[in-house]
Amino acid sequence: MSTQSTTAAQTRLSSRAEFEAYRERAEQRWASLWNGNQTVVSVGIGSCSVAKGALDVLAACETALQGQAGIVRQVSCDGACWMEPWIEVKRPDQPPVIYGNLSPDEIPDVLAGRLEERAIGVRAEKPLGAILPLVSHPFFKHQQRIVLANVGVIDPDSIEDAIARGAYSAYLKVLFDLSGEEAIAELTASNLRGRGGAGFPAGIKWESGRKAKARPKFVVCNSHEGEPNVYKDRRIHEGDPHRILEGILIACIACGAERGYNYIGGEYPLAIKRFRRAVQDAERLGLIGKDVLGSGKNVAFRVRTGGGAYICGEGSALMYSIMGVRGQPRTKPPRSVEEGIWKRPTVANNTETLANVPDIILKGGEWYAGIGTEKSKGTKLMTIQGPLKTMGLVEVPMGITLRTLIDEVWGGMRDGHQFKGIQTGGVSAGPLKEEHLDLPVDFDSLTEVGGMLGSGGFAVFDQHVCAVDYARYLTAFNRYESCSKCVPCRLGNPALVEILDRIRLGRGSESDLPLMDRTSKHIVELSLCGLGQVAPAPLLGMMKMYPEEFRAHIVDGVCPSGVCPISSDEVVLAAGD
Amino acid sequence: MAHTAEAGIDLAVVRELMSHFKPQDHQEAQELILSALQEINEHFGYVSLEAAEIVAEHLDTTVNRIYGLLTFYADFRTEPRGRHFMLLCHGMSCYVMGSQQLVQDLKDRYGVGDGDTTPDGELTVQVVNGCLGVCDRAPIVKLDDSFYGDLTPDTLNDVIQRAIAARRATEDTDVNPINDRRSNPA
Repeated sequence: MSTQSTTAAQTRLSSRAEFEAYRERAEQRWASLWNGNQTVVSVGIGSCSVAKGALDVLAACETALQGQAGIVRQVSCDGACWMEPWIEVKRPDQPPVIYGNLSPDEIPDVLAGRLEERAIGVRAEKPLGAILPLVSHPFFKHQQRIVLANVGVIDPDSIEDAIARGAYSAYLKVLFDLSGEEAIAELTASNLRGRGGAGFPAGIKWESGRKAKARPKFVVCNSHEGEPNVYKDRRIHEGDPHRILEGILIACIACGAERGYNYIGGEYPLAIKRFRRAVQDAERLGLIGKDVLGSGKNVAFRVRTGGGAYICGEGSALMYSIMGVRGQPRTKPPRSVEEGIWKRPTVANNTETLANVPDIILKGGEWYAGIGTEKSKGTKLMTIQGPLKTMGLVEVPMGITLRTLIDEVWGGMRDGHQFKGIQTGGVSAGPLKEEHLDLPVDFDSLTEVGGMLGSGGFAVFDQHVCAVDYARYLTAFNRYESCSKCVPCRLGNPALVEILDRIRLGRGSESDLPLMDRTSKHIVELSLCGLGQVAPAPLLGMMKMYPEEFRAHIVDGVCPSGVCPISSDEVVLAAGD
Repeated sequence: MAHTAEAGIDLAVVRELMSHFKPQDHQEAQELILSALQEINEHFGYVSLEAAEIVAEHLDTTVNRIYGLLTFYADFRTEPRGRHFMLLCHGMSCYVMGSQQLVQDLKDRYGVGDGDTTPDGELTVQVVNGCLGVCDRAPIVKLDDSFYGDLTPDTLNDVIQRAIAARRATEDTDVNPINDRRSNPA
């Protein structure tokens, strides 16, 4: 057995031809890996699966294959949290089979083919014996993977793997074949909208960045995913860091920016480690630096990490954080595309937005615009939390319904849990109920009923969750994460939490409901940044969807879910107090 | 954690860590302040005044500015950690699966809230407002280097007690509590 060693990128490539020769070698090596007379075992290693013992599974695979013709590779988690730890076994002359929910002591049996009932699926179009194709599994059936195409397939630490699978081809096209205007025209034609939550068209943003006169210019990738229910960007970093890097580099070239930044949340050590490695390898190959591949174009790159402040996901706060001060938003205009990092024009995009860029450049904006709904094009990464059976990160076309997502993709409710509602838009919108589940998931449809696609984080809650208590949790999050710059947000959110606590303790009065409405209105209308303006949205949504629960607490003095400490004398405080 | 507060922060190590930060101009120096503090916080579990002074000097800024950053960003601590360090995930998945009860139980049983260390210096609790990303095993905690999922107040208590007992079993003599001051989250 040999552990696959990643051939470090040794020499700097100085022309397009040299890159293409390198890619050819990488493709040959990739093909021979899968066609050889050996067993190839790929183990999904991500921060999620490590927590569940994937490193022990990896070690068990290496031990089990000792002395045999076999290779053990590390790939990343492919989004299917529910099947971790998982391995993919490619036996000679057979398509790869994926086995899930493994413990280290089961590995010898799995590799020997004695535990076929643990197979989740086979990576082929036809069944392999009793093992069904992976794409027919409900979790995978509805997915269309663009951003996640290589996640769980390549070794994220290997630039060679990434290049063999097409990484940097779009970058090459932008360096040599397309002008900046042409690249941006593809983006505009694709109608790609920002994936961070606001849904602003990326093409328009790039166009403004390109036209900005001041120098130097910057591109910054917002990988600060601070919401308490979203983990999509972290998985892209862990699984395919080169795709993000390529997207940022393309943006730099197309907008004429001197330097790209990636600002990653500090909570994600593995994502940071893998992304830094990707940048080092790309630098060593000459994809970053001066006169990239002899094109005469220069681009520099810096990785910056956050310190656990949710507000730093806001564009101007993020830039302040990069500049080494407290991340507190500022008034706009000027917009960051006019004055951003170090008062220079800065194009800021979400990670997922940039990760879509390479495929749009390669396949064209028209192709991308053919996926999704009329106003929301392409695919969207979505994450789920709550008591569901097959949880994880998925990439689905825009326009899929919530019902399909919940009942099929995410496997439906676990036994003993009844669906009560689904919180949408992270902490920036309200919940939706059963009757809304047939709405298509895109930027606009959910907003009409008080929900929000946002960054694609959903949380299903069941009968054990009380609407008042949940509203308190969401409001307390916003209170804790308020940057304290504006008074309405700094004082308004604590006031809301106080009122909610009063209601939870059974001491609320009917006048509290209009009081919360009024207080919320102050926060919404008077806060400076986008996050402050939506801070009361979850509370307002809960009050709108579950008015009977608020009344039950206030009028009848009971908590229907039995969660709130009604009539207890003790003041119960939550995290962040 | 390799370094506990018994030893304090070894400033020679801080200087060594700082030597890897080589800003080319004042702008880049400012961009590196947070990264430098993160490195120290990661290494020692907190950033002391003395360590902050070294960072300030190395990156050409003031210790006041650094304190402003340490108190703004939730990941930093300015007080030593206990012998065991626990991140309690309070993300939405963990919340809907009952992390609130864990927070409450820690308060009842150990008297610790977010950022606090138990009076005997055994355990520091940090409540994570974001998400630790192991959502299908919610509610979860990360205690020292290991994750524990599907917790109830009682199983969490077991996990804590076992970790403490396991460490004590490997120690010859019981050391003095490292931190009898309660850190002040206010």
